[in-house]
Amino acid sequence: MGPSAGFHPYNHIPEGNTVNIKRYGAIAAVVGATALVLAGCATSNSSGSSDSPSAKPTTETVVGPKVDTSLTGTITAGGSSAQANAETAWTAAFQGTQAKGVVVNYDKSQGSGGGVTNFLSGSYDFAGSDAALNATQYPQAVTLCAGGSPVDIPAYLSGVALIYKLDGVTDLQLSSATVAKIFTLQIKTWDDPAIKADNPKATLPSTPITVVTRSDGSGTTANFTKYMHDTQPSIFTQAVGTAWPVAGTSGQQGGSGVVNAVTAGTGTIGYADQSSIGTATAAKVSGSGKDFVAYTAEGATEAFDSAATVASQGAGDLTEVIDYSKISGKSAYPIPLLSYVITCTVHKDAAQGKLTQAYLGYVLSTQGQLVGSKNAGAAPLPTSVLKAAQKTIALIK
Amino acid sequence: MSNETVSRPQSERPAGAARVKAKSRPADRIFLGLSTGSAALIMVILAAVALFLIIQAAPAIVQNWSTNPDLSKGTTEGHDNFWDYVLPLIWGTVWSSAIALVIGAPIAIGIALFISHYAPRRIAGILGYLVDLLAAVPSIIFGLWGIFVIRPFLKPLEVWLNHNLGWFPLFGGQATSTGSTILAGAVVLAVMILPIVTSISREIFLQTPRLHEEAALALGATKWEMIRYAVFPYARSGVVSAVLLGLGRALGETMAIALIISPSLIFSVKLLTDSQNPQTIAANLALNFPESDTLQRQALIGTGLMLFVISLAVNFVARAVITRTGGSKRSRGTKKPKAETLPLVPTSTAALEESAVVGTGKTRDEGARA
Repeated sequence: MGPSAGFHPYNHIPEGNTVNIKRYGAIAAVVGATALVLAGCATSNSSGSSDSPSAKPTTETVVGPKVDTSLTGTITAGGSSAQANAETAWTAAFQGTQAKGVVVNYDKSQGSGGGVTNFLSGSYDFAGSDAALNATQYPQAVTLCAGGSPVDIPAYLSGVALIYKLDGVTDLQLSSATVAKIFTLQIKTWDDPAIKADNPKATLPSTPITVVTRSDGSGTTANFTKYMHDTQPSIFTQAVGTAWPVAGTSGQQGGSGVVNAVTAGTGTIGYADQSSIGTATAAKVSGSGKDFVAYTAEGATEAFDSAATVASQGAGDLTEVIDYSKISGKSAYPIPLLSYVITCTVHKDAAQGKLTQAYLGYVLSTQGQLVGSKNAGAAPLPTSVLKAAQKTIALIK
Repeated sequence: MSNETVSRPQSERPAGAARVKAKSRPADRIFLGLSTGSAALIMVILAAVALFLIIQAAPAIVQNWSTNPDLSKGTTEGHDNFWDYVLPLIWGTVWSSAIALVIGAPIAIGIALFISHYAPRRIAGILGYLVDLLAAVPSIIFGLWGIFVIRPFLKPLEVWLNHNLGWFPLFGGQATSTGSTILAGAVVLAVMILPIVTSISREIFLQTPRLHEEAALALGATKWEMIRYAVFPYARSGVVSAVLLGLGRALGETMAIALIISPSLIFSVKLLTDSQNPQTIAANLALNFPESDTLQRQALIGTGLMLFVISLAVNFVARAVITRTGGSKRSRGTKKPKAETLPLVPTSTAALEESAVVGTGKTRDEGARA
């Protein structure tokens, strides 16, 4: 007979599903903590590599509306995880330099879709989203912002980095056609003639290519698929959107999952937001031109400056459309990644409107963009965009 | 709270005898109300969850997905209707849980047996405590452990199996290069269900009547034979319920699968690939919920409804198995054990003496008289 009772009885392990429901709530905190730790590592690396903006000496400084330092309150927001690190930096800087009493709660676990959904239901003061309000959501927002209008303001600029891990190759160059062929699995090995043509000086092994992509919905996927669709429509024929459309790749959860899988494997290639790649090697990419460009913050700003045009959906709206064919030159990075803040010009609670205006005014100022680039690896938005944004922000009340 | 006698089974009381009721004071009534209220609350919550799932999911389920502008893009793109989307997910959920069960349940039962019958007392105590500790690890930690430890660990084995035994349907396909296989996910799932199955099985094994075990040993059985003939038949339905509880946990597991597996919506049995791993319902929900529109979210809630139905079905099957194979173990002390669960072991000392003379073949009749 076995040992009699002396150890504690089995009476506390709960039924499967209740555990998962309770734990899923705690998971958000742990994932947030993990992401913050990983982001901390990424940020400490990228802030070393991103140059301080060598702005032309005559660049004017854009400032937001004057903020009363005694302002207090709480701003509730959420959405895109791409701009989450930047939001943290902006919040800290805003509290430190503008108004100590303002608290900004940005929930990045919602994703762009969740952020917009919550914004449309009235729970957020503003939403962070990798895509502007679409044709179905804009009318809903118009109803929400009765008395004013909904506005999409570009706030965060970065780039989509193509990271890879290949023995013996550290300076990979890829044309947009090659990129599209690799990511649609038409090129299967690293020593394919197309890759060789892009890299005449490199010795490429015959390792099979492992393509690493996102298994969850993501604004990075949307930006990257749009780039491939616009530059190589005959090669990339699949759907543009937040869900990765090509079957047969290795899907990982989150940008950090992609970075981890690429760095842990061999012969891997994947895409991720530039600010989250850490020490992974990124390839140089060409757009519609012939030059292979490595990512720099100035390169992203320059690309955005030359290729983005405003396609306004309403009064004060600054939805941008990027024409990839206009990105050319030796320094403009071909795959910029843009993220918006979406808010109403008239808030139901005037106090919240004032808080939102003060905060967004800071975010869309030269100083705010500098904070974002130094701490979160973002690229500063061009001055012209900041000026237009401040005009919209002046309407917020 | 009636004074039913414990010495005479109900069936033997004279017909027409009134039930004796105890005195009822206000405290009794309050407690009765509270417990009835709690029971009713559980039913209300369950009904509310089911209603919520049905109401939220209904708009998405009835739509024609290829023509609806919201459902033909993004998360739900490329599927004609709800069933086209959810059936591969159901397959993935059931398949990954089945593999986890096949890997984990035998090990868990082995551990439970070791703790209850083989280990010295102190080691058994420590081991039991450690296994229960495993249940306290959050599933996200298991997911991260799976990514950083299990995937690289299993990858050489997976590649070897694929190259050498690739003709077998389970091992075919293109070998993984990142280790994000359903096998890795199922191994982590097996570790997660280990504490549940082990703990319940351990308690069941410990409940085996000492008399049965000693009787078997007295009849000349070895330790393993004693376990086989005295412990297992007694514990069978309890172990089945433990395994089904573990299955319930595996079916609903979200974060570990979401982090470890590279998912697709296909019907596949291949274990060792990156691109042919069927996705589970819960992981699909977790991965796609943030970036989904309203109608797409309702479609995802619909898949959650399917998971709810599957979990209910598993629990019903568990109950049916338990009631059919011997009834609740907790009433063992007051009820006669069914003769067929103890094929070879007599149930009383009198029968023991008789069978010692006559031989083990007659124990069934002797036992029935006890």
